[in-house]
Amino acid sequence: MSKLAYEVAIVGSGLAGIAAACKLAEYGVKVVVMDENIHIGGQFLRRCPTTRKASFTDVMDLMRKKGFKLITLAKEKNVAIMNRTKVLAISDQNELLVEDNEKKISTIRPQIILLATGARERFLPFKGWTLPGVFSTGAIQSLVKSFGVLPSREIFVGGSGPFLFTVAWELLQQRGRVMSIIEQKHLMDSLPPSGLLFFNASRFLQSACQIARIVFARVPVRYATKIVEARGRYRLEQVVTSKVDRLGRAVPGTEKIYSSEALAVGHGFTPNIELAQVAGCEIESDTTKGGWVVRVDQTLETSVENVFAAGEITGIGGAPKSLNEGNIAALSILRRLGKEVEKSVFSRHQKKRERLLCFARYFNSLHMSSDEIIKAIPDETLICRCENVTIKEINMAIQQGHNTLGALRKALRIGMGNCQGRICTPIVRDLIHIHAKATKEEDNEILPASTRIPVKPLAIKSLLD
Amino acid sequence: MLPHTADTVIIGGGVIGASIAYYLSKKKVRAVLLEQGELVSGTSSACGGLIFLQSKKTGAHLALALESKKRFAGLNEELGAEIEYRNEGGLIIVEKEEELQSIDCHIAREKKLGLEVSFLDRQEARELEPCLSENFVAAVHCPLDGQVNPIYLSLAFLEAAKRSGVKVFPLTRVTDIGLGEGRVESVITCRGKIATPIIINAAGVNAPDVGKMVKTKIPIIPRRGQVVVTETGPQLLKRGLISAKYLEVKQAAGLGEAQEGGTSAEQTMSGNFLLGATREFVGFDKRTTWKAMKTIVYRATQLIPGLKDLHIIRTFAGLRPYTPDGLPILGKVTGIDGLIIAAGHEGDGICLAPITGELIADLVTEGRTDFELGDFALDRFEEKRDGRLED
Amino acid sequence: MAGLRISPIPKKDKVRLVVNGREVVACRGESVLAALIASGYVKLRIAPGSGEGRGAFCGMGVCYDCLVTINGRPNERACMAQVEDGMEIAIDE
Repeated sequence: MSKLAYEVAIVGSGLAGIAAACKLAEYGVKVVVMDENIHIGGQFLRRCPTTRKASFTDVMDLMRKKGFKLITLAKEKNVAIMNRTKVLAISDQNELLVEDNEKKISTIRPQIILLATGARERFLPFKGWTLPGVFSTGAIQSLVKSFGVLPSREIFVGGSGPFLFTVAWELLQQRGRVMSIIEQKHLMDSLPPSGLLFFNASRFLQSACQIARIVFARVPVRYATKIVEARGRYRLEQVVTSKVDRLGRAVPGTEKIYSSEALAVGHGFTPNIELAQVAGCEIESDTTKGGWVVRVDQTLETSVENVFAAGEITGIGGAPKSLNEGNIAALSILRRLGKEVEKSVFSRHQKKRERLLCFARYFNSLHMSSDEIIKAIPDETLICRCENVTIKEINMAIQQGHNTLGALRKALRIGMGNCQGRICTPIVRDLIHIHAKATKEEDNEILPASTRIPVKPLAIKSLLD
Repeated sequence: MLPHTADTVIIGGGVIGASIAYYLSKKKVRAVLLEQGELVSGTSSACGGLIFLQSKKTGAHLALALESKKRFAGLNEELGAEIEYRNEGGLIIVEKEEELQSIDCHIAREKKLGLEVSFLDRQEARELEPCLSENFVAAVHCPLDGQVNPIYLSLAFLEAAKRSGVKVFPLTRVTDIGLGEGRVESVITCRGKIATPIIINAAGVNAPDVGKMVKTKIPIIPRRGQVVVTETGPQLLKRGLISAKYLEVKQAAGLGEAQEGGTSAEQTMSGNFLLGATREFVGFDKRTTWKAMKTIVYRATQLIPGLKDLHIIRTFAGLRPYTPDGLPILGKVTGIDGLIIAAGHEGDGICLAPITGELIADLVTEGRTDFELGDFALDRFEEKRDGRLED
Repeated sequence: MAGLRISPIPKKDKVRLVVNGREVVACRGESVLAALIASGYVKLRIAPGSGEGRGAFCGMGVCYDCLVTINGRPNERACMAQVEDGMEIAIDE
């Protein structure tokens, strides 16, 4: 079944994956990059095929510019690129089981695997968040940036973190109207420490430009405000917001109702660790890195020999960290393959990584929801969208002693649906922590539930063909 | 806090331990249940929910299953929790002509024991289950077969037991058993010691470890069974089904290396299909394999073509507690007063859980059972009466 | 529902899909989700458990809320599938 002998297989074509692929290809290594998405470039590198010319966005954003260059370079260097390709399993011989864009199944047995599976969004559920018309910020971004489609001419944006502003800015660039930006955090809590400002000036400058554009477009920005409800009969019609106090609790009497057909929500990011889990990689828990991350050493090798990890899955840190880690991983892999790599290059990247990790900690702190704000979620709010489990049911089960993810899965079917817990697990984990704190029980490290093959649902038809 | 004393200590928080805890609680026994991991996290959380009578070995095994089956009907209400029990019957699917003869014998034996089974030709079987293909020869129907949600069943036993005063401790590993003058005196755990006159080894695949603490050999070996889970689909399959091949592999006790497990299929109340099976001796490795997933799905779709429209969302594997003769080990352990074993049910733990719990509870309170347990005694494996391990 | 596309589809990139028997024009290379949204289809399915309407949520292949039937293959993610000329799509209405 496996036709071509690839030395390295990279899962994920985001900045980390594509940067590593280019570097490896430079040294003549045979590389294949696989990505589940239609486009190559991951969540960060999107551009609309119908408006291909470099927009103002690309010119201003050096990181994106670099990224698109890398994609072109990878193609020139004959990196094999497989889009719409799912990696379903990694065996203990480091063999990958793959479903390609024609739904054909095959295996790839490279010498080395680099996991660069990126991140997904986290959400703070509210009443009605399952209504059609409520999208993740990432969904809206992909519709607009990759396909030039707006979900509605007018879009409401809410949640927490700087990504809200990025998405709002992109909408404005594409002639969408942003009705309002609702940021759960207080303005003062979002300001970066001055040390970080100095070392990451370009990033903050870019943010500042985005905010300036948003202000210029007279988009109302409301800090210390959260979304309490999405309403509508068949699809979103209204968004209800409320002011929150310093702890994140709703302030009575501050509710406002807006008419809206599209709402973009997001509360930060969490790594896509599932494939790494299946490969047997050790996972560690670190909220300053965005939750569960793949444990790596200085060379970015995981606990499984010849399986490396780079980018968001080792800790949420944004594009520069992904690019940096893509390079480090490539250098480590080159060494493993017996190629000469200059030590100084390696240590230069390493040093940079330290600095980027500092920024990552600040970045992730912007998304952390206080316990109070989680406790304020009303009882009837759905947490598990697949199995329709409410927060009340979860809290009751935790109180009855089902205080691990595995136990909750058994008691309530949380995480047994199609998404296998990818959407609800971060919040369920918070609920378990809150309960442990409240009852002064030992707050053990909460382990992710086990992941088994296939990592993503697999059509039986594909399997049989 | 772990109590210092207990009337009875149950080791194992799977369906067997949970059932014993429940039936003990009905008899007002001050029992403590210890589980080394999370509750219901081992075999009982990684199995299907078939309650099959047709698959039991004729003789005491079937008689035990019949008794167990009787208890399921009232359990939903008795336990005060939804266990998704259904009594829709079950089918053995005969896929090959050459299997017919042994199936005929099987039917004759079962009828002799009073089990209501009927032979169906392909057409009759397809009338019962219209989702079936033409790729089989005949079927055997037993109206007494049923299905249950194994996890809900285990949890419901535990919750009911807890309500009646049984203390349940997850994450509590038993490290040793204290003996004195040929009888058990205490259980030593990672969290402290409990003095008790009675200990029940319901540790499933880990029962041999508990046995070692009192130098008793228990011939249970983990046997991996892989299961494929589909997304929820339209209601297609009302009954549980197993193939004749499944039955053959199940009943051929030997330690054959055959991974082949035949086919098993059921649709849960939620609409997911659980498809099996494999029977593999791979130690305590609970991972699932690509190869098994493919084989299981291929075989299942041969019988139920409608599955082709579904996605596989997950696989899991459970370690079934295999015994050399395919029968569970139930009863007092000769030579050690106060030590009782209830383990080794392999794939029948769910089906046999209610009766196992009830009989073991009788054994604790009365010292005897109405049901003759001789066929299930641990000493059946011993060549000599004294089967203690040497130091 | 016109006007959700930022720029019109170039003639050479036009492909035609059939959504529940109705013809929909889409742009070559885009996702089925983009095509559906651009044509005003927001609610895509009825959740089996609750009976509520659901549409795309995460947009990146994670949440499985945008499941539709594509060319007779049920429960395919609209956000991860690419449009092809003549593609038949069924959604719950």
